[in-house]
Amino acid sequence: MIKFIFKGIIRDRSKSLIPVLVITVGVMVTVLMSGFLRGVLSDIVNQNAKLDTGHLKIMTRPYAENKDQMPNDLALLDLQDLREDIKQKFPNVLWTPRIKFGGIIDVPDSNGNTKTQGPGLGMALAILDTTSGELERLNLKKSIQKGRLPMRKGEIVLSDAYAEKLKISPGEEITYFGTTMEGSMVFQNFVMTGTIYFGSPLLDKGTFIIDIKDAQDMLDMEDGTGELLGYFDSKIYNDIEASKIANEFNSQYSHSTDEYAPKMVTLKQQNDLKTSLDVAESFNAIFIFIFIFAMSLVLWNTGLIGGLRRYKEFGIRIALGESKRNVFGLLLAEASIIGLIGSLIGSILGIGLCYYLQEVGIDISKDVENSTIIMPSIVRAHVSTNLFFIGFIPGLFSMLLGTALAGRGIFKRETARLFKELEV
Amino acid sequence: MAEKPIISIEKVIKNYPVGGKEFRALKDITLSINKGEFAGIVGPSGSGKTTLLNIIGSLDVPTQGEAHVLDKNIAELSHNEAAKLRNYNIGFIFQVFNLLPVYTVFENVEFALLLQKNTVEQRRKAVYDALEWVGLQDHANKRPDKLSGGESQRVAIARAMVKRPKILLADEPTANLDSENAHGILKTMKMLNKELQTTFLFSTHDEKVMGYLDRTIHLRDGALEKDIIENKTTSV
Repeated sequence: MIKFIFKGIIRDRSKSLIPVLVITVGVMVTVLMSGFLRGVLSDIVNQNAKLDTGHLKIMTRPYAENKDQMPNDLALLDLQDLREDIKQKFPNVLWTPRIKFGGIIDVPDSNGNTKTQGPGLGMALAILDTTSGELERLNLKKSIQKGRLPMRKGEIVLSDAYAEKLKISPGEEITYFGTTMEGSMVFQNFVMTGTIYFGSPLLDKGTFIIDIKDAQDMLDMEDGTGELLGYFDSKIYNDIEASKIANEFNSQYSHSTDEYAPKMVTLKQQNDLKTSLDVAESFNAIFIFIFIFAMSLVLWNTGLIGGLRRYKEFGIRIALGESKRNVFGLLLAEASIIGLIGSLIGSILGIGLCYYLQEVGIDISKDVENSTIIMPSIVRAHVSTNLFFIGFIPGLFSMLLGTALAGRGIFKRETARLFKELEV
Repeated sequence: MAEKPIISIEKVIKNYPVGGKEFRALKDITLSINKGEFAGIVGPSGSGKTTLLNIIGSLDVPTQGEAHVLDKNIAELSHNEAAKLRNYNIGFIFQVFNLLPVYTVFENVEFALLLQKNTVEQRRKAVYDALEWVGLQDHANKRPDKLSGGESQRVAIARAMVKRPKILLADEPTANLDSENAHGILKTMKMLNKELQTTFLFSTHDEKVMGYLDRTIHLRDGALEKDIIENKTTSV
């Protein structure tokens, strides 16, 4: 009987092609939208984590309160002891220091006079320490546009746009003007070894990178850092785990009277990310709900129309001796086959498109040029296994639901009227 | 001892609610039909022909009285038992042929057997036998839209007969056919009646059909008017 029904589905295009198309398109759009929105959110989280917030961050209490001003005079000291302590307590987190500082980069001409000059944001990373993981984390090797990364002390790389603005090429010398942790003026020469592309318009405007040791020496921050960033070994941010660690860490210092006591914050507690991500996640959930709801309505309608259109066929089958239960059961079996095929094709197409958007992405750098939060310049979809279920299950069940509702007519039908109905 | 009738209708009354009132479609009908009869229920529109056919076909139940078909009391059958009775013992032929358009002639005829869970080989043989009775064995792979009206009704007869039912109910089977096709169909049915001893019961007001019947049961306004069995008339 199933073979018989299957033949009918294949031969009757209005019974098969249109519902399959509707389900395919609905499922595909749902999967694509969901994958894309999740990808964008995940990119924002990752970009922030890599470039600024870490999964966890330790600062002194006053630094945390004024961190937007990069107050290195309030930096963490006795870094080595702190690192030893947290390494033991939280072995699944890799800790790395970073110092953010402002200053002016001056490019001299051959006579030593200023050729070009401009303000910049300095990032001191543990790039010469191969165990820090910073090179891989920030994908620095692949992000090099010209020249190379610093390989020894006294070397610096600039963001590509910044170097272009300052009209400087790898190999040239530059001078950094700024202030130390204590507020004294500092002048330090560096050899510019290359340019880099961060992929974040906010940072690409005017950022330079030096090794953390150079920064500590230059800014009088021996065994100190502005921020100590923690990254989970899994490389995936887990808010529950992060909150647990932060609470445990902070509880140690809750009664400390040291005004420079360290304070740990999670990724979501920084840069208003909690609000942004919660809102974005809510929007994502609303979007998905709307898509699933709309798709369910369309598919329900498709099942309903399909069922009503075949009213006569069901009448013939009942008159020929098929039980109503059997007609209904086979109708659901048909809906399952159609739903299965449509959902499968839709999911494959949706995931395929998501994969394309994951690999290629959409360049939004022009749109976020003046963004004040760290945004990726290319937004990408994110392919994950749950994408399959997001489209597949509603695709299958809305068709079944629509058909089941349409099929109620089979049971309500008065067999006594079959002769009359079938004469029309 | 006389053979027990295959259909036995005893003082059957059928009421339908119409506009808040009860409309009596059948009034105290009593009749019996024996195995192998080629009979027709005749009468004008609204006389109760289709209502009576519905009850005999286990598609409806009487309001009062008893209808026994193949020793089964129609009123006592569940939906599934009624479906089983139709599936194994009662064939239907409709005024419009009601073939399933996406299936071939073979598949349309085979459908009734699918419900009986026969083997592929049994089904194949039965379908080709049925198509041979109606002279359509060469049309097995055609779709209904490629058939003429007469051919379509022949397929409907094959579909009804393939399961070799004991009773075949035909509701105005020639209404949509021209004279030549109507006679062809009726001859085929008469032949099947003789060969397979299937009881045929028509609902008709077509003179052509009446000419072939061995018995005509006349209804008027829901009541049995007369019952003519091969020139032997019984007025009621």
